[in-house]
Amino acid sequence: MNRRTAIKQLFIVAGGLTILSSCLNDGGASIVLNKLKISAADEQFLGDLADILIPKTDTPGGKDLNLHLFVMKMVDDCESPENQQKFVGGFNKLRKQLNLTDSEATKTALLNLKDQTDEKAFFDIFKSRAIQGYMNSEYVMKNKVVYKLIPGPYNGAVNVKG
Amino acid sequence: MANLNIDSEKNRTYDAIVIGSGISGGWSAKELCEKGLKTLVLERGRDVQHIKDYPTTNMMPWEFEHRNEMPYKIKQENPIVSKCYAFHEDAAHFFVKDNEHPYIQEKPFDWIRGYQVGGKSLLWARQTQRWSDFDFEGPARDGFAVDWPIRYADLAPWYAYVEKFAGIAGDHDGLPELPDGEFLPGYPLNIVEKYFKEKVQQRYPERKVISARCAHLSKPNPIHIEQGRVQCQNRVLCQRGCPFGGYFSSNATTLPWAAKTGNMTLRPFSVVHSILYDEQKGRAVGVRVIDTNTKEEIDFYAKLIFVNAAAINTNLILLNSKSNRFPNGLGNDSGVLGKYVAFHNYSARIYAEYEGHLNYTVEGRNPAGGGYIPRFRNLHKQETDFLRGYAAGFGASRGKESDRSGLGLDLKNNLLNPKLGIWQVGSHMMGETIPKESGMVTLDGSKTDDWGIPLLKIAVDYDENDEKMKKDYIEVMTEMFTDAGFTNIRPDTHWQAPGLDIHEMGGVRMGHDPKTSVLNKWNQMHAVKNVFVTDGACMTSTSTQNPSLTYMAFSARSVDYAVSEMKKGNI
Repeated sequence: MNRRTAIKQLFIVAGGLTILSSCLNDGGASIVLNKLKISAADEQFLGDLADILIPKTDTPGGKDLNLHLFVMKMVDDCESPENQQKFVGGFNKLRKQLNLTDSEATKTALLNLKDQTDEKAFFDIFKSRAIQGYMNSEYVMKNKVVYKLIPGPYNGAVNVKG
Repeated sequence: MANLNIDSEKNRTYDAIVIGSGISGGWSAKELCEKGLKTLVLERGRDVQHIKDYPTTNMMPWEFEHRNEMPYKIKQENPIVSKCYAFHEDAAHFFVKDNEHPYIQEKPFDWIRGYQVGGKSLLWARQTQRWSDFDFEGPARDGFAVDWPIRYADLAPWYAYVEKFAGIAGDHDGLPELPDGEFLPGYPLNIVEKYFKEKVQQRYPERKVISARCAHLSKPNPIHIEQGRVQCQNRVLCQRGCPFGGYFSSNATTLPWAAKTGNMTLRPFSVVHSILYDEQKGRAVGVRVIDTNTKEEIDFYAKLIFVNAAAINTNLILLNSKSNRFPNGLGNDSGVLGKYVAFHNYSARIYAEYEGHLNYTVEGRNPAGGGYIPRFRNLHKQETDFLRGYAAGFGASRGKESDRSGLGLDLKNNLLNPKLGIWQVGSHMMGETIPKESGMVTLDGSKTDDWGIPLLKIAVDYDENDEKMKKDYIEVMTEMFTDAGFTNIRPDTHWQAPGLDIHEMGGVRMGHDPKTSVLNKWNQMHAVKNVFVTDGACMTSTSTQNPSLTYMAFSARSVDYAVSEMKKGNI
């Protein structure tokens, strides 16, 4: 096998970030997760949800940028066990309630999630992590809200239209 | 090491040994090497070579596995270092993890360490404010600790000497409480910081808001180019190590300079166990090292020993250097070794918003971080119910924000088109703490670390004076913020343990009297004339300024003295 192809198969680019892909073809998630149990179907659902959150336009959407994989990775590695539990618990409840093919209805449902519910707890984590992944994605940082490693001289009084 | 022959001993003999390669050790090394002394520099951690060993320095935000956030598991395993503001994916490799060198917190103390060549000079916040006589005369005037055996005039030429080489950006402000130095151009305050400065000046003429002075090459001189450094590029990613050498670190500055003389031998992976004292000769003769790779114990010898292990570890080494002559630690005739350890009170901050000057914003990043308010409390005379005072940082910024409440196209559009918000302002206090005998570090009687060296017990705490000062800071800043028209003023007085300021000082203090101090006015041990301590351990009091510049000046001054004494045959 061509080495380059092999490497391509090992890594998946999520918002510019390479994540080790899962080697197991067992109906599980496509990336290696240590704590979260996410099935391929769950992952598909999270991908669709990422697209509803940040839809594809003339610029890439949530699924194009693999924001759902980024969310899974961050929840797996960076959230507390309590938050992981909230994430999974809320997700399992919410996915039964949503029909993602009707994106308007889904949006209305998501915007009206009640505070202090498991569903809201899940969606808050999903949304904030997806936004984090989006704003820190290679695409956005190179093309839209540009990050400069070398920002140029400091100017402490730049005139702007108030 | 009885089985080692004389040749081997000769191979392990140098003119001078420097323990530690951080800010002060780098300076000791440079000065000793330049004066022609064959110098062994011992570093307990690994080597970090300038540029080559800064793996994250040019990484983009999306290239960090967790976008610079530390994973939960690492935070759980490292509750101490995780509290440090700079412990993120981009610099975590320069910090000591909690389990790598445990210690006993008799009272809560966050000991933040960098064990590698360059030490914490890679990680420091690069603020460089001189002390003045208001600081050196503090203990004598206010009746605490012991009188400093030096005054500003003793150190002033050495401040100038190190500033010229290190490269310090700053304005000439003409303040006796914060003397001017050999400055490269300062980084100007932004428009709201300037506005605050003017408002404060109108209402409280004795209070000054100036540009913070910092160790950045705003405009390098030939000496800096000669070091291989170029102008600071305002990246403000300093904690990763700077490929431009834009800020001062041992790695970019003093150590390569020392190496260039051909006189330096740098030995990483060398934990110092103790300093060897010869009772017949009445002097220190060398240093016992544990090689961290082989766990082998090796003795090195020299006529002159500079201890620059960083404040707490310098205390540890001296306490562990026991002999018949010094059963309680090297040079500890007074019994004060390990005592009078103090720090800076960083436990209050205040934030607010400002809705003026909305037709202005800032572009780029300011390496200096913004404004600095030198101590004004109790400056000329005692005027409050607490001793001493505080300096403060002050900064204003105006970021772009997006409404994140929606979903779908609205959200996407908002995220991609952030709007300028109002100004956010903030300040943090840097309070002087009073060194107390009870603020101490001691050796545990039974527990040892991986190298067989006793674990350190740290018992350092705030006191009532600190609480009063903190309250005053919040009151004063609230008044000044209110007067400037700032709104939504939010004091933040959440407690933080001593140590997290990373300004721990003392334990091996300087003083006139060998009965109450360990070091004389030359940072030389009263009782062991060929041992010098020029890191934070030497500090008699803490004042409010970020202390590293003063350690640099002490190091250069002490080497100058030590070498001239050697030439006279006095050491």
